[in-house]
Amino acid sequence: MNSHDQFRDLIEAYAIGSLDAPERAALEAHLAGGCDECAKALEEARWLVSQLAYLAPNAEPSDMLKGRLLQTVRAETASSANQTGVRQTTVPWWLWAGVAALLLFSVYSAWNERKLRNEIANLQQQTEAQQAERQKLEQELTAAKTQAHEAMIWSDPKSKKIMLPPKDPTMEPLEAMWHPDMGLVVRGWKVPSPGDKRVLQLWLIPKKAGGKPMPSVTFWPDASGKFSAMVENPPDAMSDTQALAITEEPIGGSSQPTSTPMWVGGVS
Amino acid sequence: MFLAAFSPKSSDDVSPDATLMQQLLRKDVGAFEELYERHSRIVYSLVLRILRQGSTAEEVVQDVFLQLWRNSSQFDLRRPFVPWLLTMARNRALDHLRLKSERQRRREDQTEEFPQIPVAAPEYEAALDDQRRAERVRALIRSLPSAQKKAIELAYFEGLSHSEIAASLNEPLGTVKSWIRNGLLRLKEGLQATS
Repeated sequence: MNSHDQFRDLIEAYAIGSLDAPERAALEAHLAGGCDECAKALEEARWLVSQLAYLAPNAEPSDMLKGRLLQTVRAETASSANQTGVRQTTVPWWLWAGVAALLLFSVYSAWNERKLRNEIANLQQQTEAQQAERQKLEQELTAAKTQAHEAMIWSDPKSKKIMLPPKDPTMEPLEAMWHPDMGLVVRGWKVPSPGDKRVLQLWLIPKKAGGKPMPSVTFWPDASGKFSAMVENPPDAMSDTQALAITEEPIGGSSQPTSTPMWVGGVS
Repeated sequence: MFLAAFSPKSSDDVSPDATLMQQLLRKDVGAFEELYERHSRIVYSLVLRILRQGSTAEEVVQDVFLQLWRNSSQFDLRRPFVPWLLTMARNRALDHLRLKSERQRRREDQTEEFPQIPVAAPEYEAALDDQRRAERVRALIRSLPSAQKKAIELAYFEGLSHSEIAASLNEPLGTVKSWIRNGLLRLKEGLQATS
């Protein structure tokens, strides 16, 4: 097997993103060297990998998401139209004359037109790069806020720790921390994955006699069985809650439990 | 209904998605809404499978569609739209997952906002209608041995490397590499055989 064949064998793993750093660097150097065959194979492998999305269990986003998106794009459209209107009313006549002169000049000078287009493209690229950077920072900020919020709940002396022993003695217990103002965090390790098209769901069992369990967040453990779920606004107060319970439910969660609790922990 | 979101090709080989993207370039809100209606379910399903939390998944899906709205000019109309959209959604979700778990590794090559999908899709892409292709993909992956299927899922949905998958499954590194490559090649052959 020659070196090209060795690189060809890495293409599928590169497309799915599973190559370890040394192999990835070597393949990237090979691709940068202009290997058309590998570049073509990589394009096809990327298409193939995208088809794995079909393995995801079917789920439907909330109507609120569509509403938020349409509200945002309509607001941006209106804002853009307003800005255009402002420009039209405030641009002085001599500037229009200048633009007209520039347009005439561009007709006579193809070279100048190309240069102008390149400058505009560069400005667009800079704007898009800034937008991408801003969105990345916003994501980092959101994640950091969540982590900080969870850490505050875990460390605040007002928080109450709640252990949730499993019904199945072979499983590990979960633990929760409930702060009367900042919310509730539940976490666990070595938690088995729920079945196909199933999720884990947290319930608040009210103290009131005959009170129905209050549904809360749904979540999955990661590949190692670890999870941390935060509820900023629990559906009931700690003082009115007798216990926390976790059941397995269909994707999207349930309004009332449909299976026997796997973990239950008394709040008070 | 779910699979109807995928775009069939019209007889003149200009997909409805390409037409909608042309309208999106003119900032047509109606075209944006129709693209959302057609593809939000598969995008949300994919992102939810990766992030496992509904509220976070909706944030990422919102980012993906806003990116589509704001930077539609970067889409090459000759490319198949759905694979491009799914690749962008997966990259975003995995970036979010990595950020949350503070696992900064790998896949810098796939973090670009607009992924590179072939200008011309493979021949077998056009031959299968979307619903049949989805069913075929699921059946082909289901037919793999469970550990091999798990390795592919860890790579695709969790963004794990060969080494991490080997450690997670307690299998030799070479075995994991073969599982992933052979699994994808089997998927490719299966899709080709169906076309």
